[in-house]
Amino acid sequence: MNTPEFYRRRQKAVVIVGMMLFQLLLFFMQIWLFVMLLESMLGGHSHMALPAAIASVVIMALNLWMLRGINLLSRSS
Amino acid sequence: MNDELKQEFPVEWEDDHFVTRREFFKFMTFASGGLALGTAALATYSYLPKHERSFEAAKICTVADVKAGAALAFSYPRPADLCLLIRKLDGEFVGFTRRCTHLSCPIEYEAGQGTERLYCPCHNGAFSLDDGHVLKGPPPHPLPQIKLEIRGDEIWAIGIKSEKPA
Repeated sequence: MNTPEFYRRRQKAVVIVGMMLFQLLLFFMQIWLFVMLLESMLGGHSHMALPAAIASVVIMALNLWMLRGINLLSRSS
Repeated sequence: MNDELKQEFPVEWEDDHFVTRREFFKFMTFASGGLALGTAALATYSYLPKHERSFEAAKICTVADVKAGAALAFSYPRPADLCLLIRKLDGEFVGFTRRCTHLSCPIEYEAGQGTERLYCPCHNGAFSLDDGHVLKGPPPHPLPQIKLEIRGDEIWAIGIKSEKPA
C-alpha cells in the first residue's frame, strides 16, 4: 500500500525533472543568444547587443530563482 | 592487468557517476551566470565609442611628394596597417585605410573623366573619396578615414576616423 508521502515524493520528482528540462532549454537559449551576438558583432552590427544582454540576465535570474526553489524543496523533504 | 590498473587508479564508478539534482542546478546556474556575464560584456563593448581613435602622429611625406590625381601608399599606425594618401584632382589631401571592408583586399585610387574613387579590384567594390562611404559592390561598411594634418609643407597622420556603426 502506497502512503501519501510516496505520492508526494513522486509528484516532487516530476516537478524537479520538469524544472531540469526547462533549465536545460534556457541554457541552450543563452548559448544561442551569446553566439548570435558574437557573430553579429563580428559582422559589424551591434543593435541586438542590449536586448540580448537583458534576455541573458533575465534567464540567469530565472535559473537562480529555480536553484533557490530546489534548495527549498530539498530542505522540506 | 585489470586488477593492477584498478589498484593504481582506484575510481569509485558509482560515486563518480552520481550527480545530485542540486549539483546539476548549481552547475547550470553557474554556467548561465558566465554566459550572462559574457553577453553583458559584449554589449558593454559595443557601446564603447569607436568612431574616432587617436594614435601617435606620424609624418607621411611632404606636400610636393604627391601630385594632384595621384596616391601614395603608407603605413599607419602600425607597419602592417596599410593606408593610402590621395591628392584629389582639386588638390585636397585625403587618407584612407587600404583594406577593403569586404574581404581586406588592397584598394586602389582611380581617377578619370572628372570622377575619382577608391576601387577594390577583387569584387568590384568602390568607395567615395569624400568620406569613404560605399559607392557600389559588396563592402558592408564605409572605409575608415585617416585624419590628416598639414604642418608646414609636411603631411602628418594623426588618427583614424571610422564610420562603422557602433
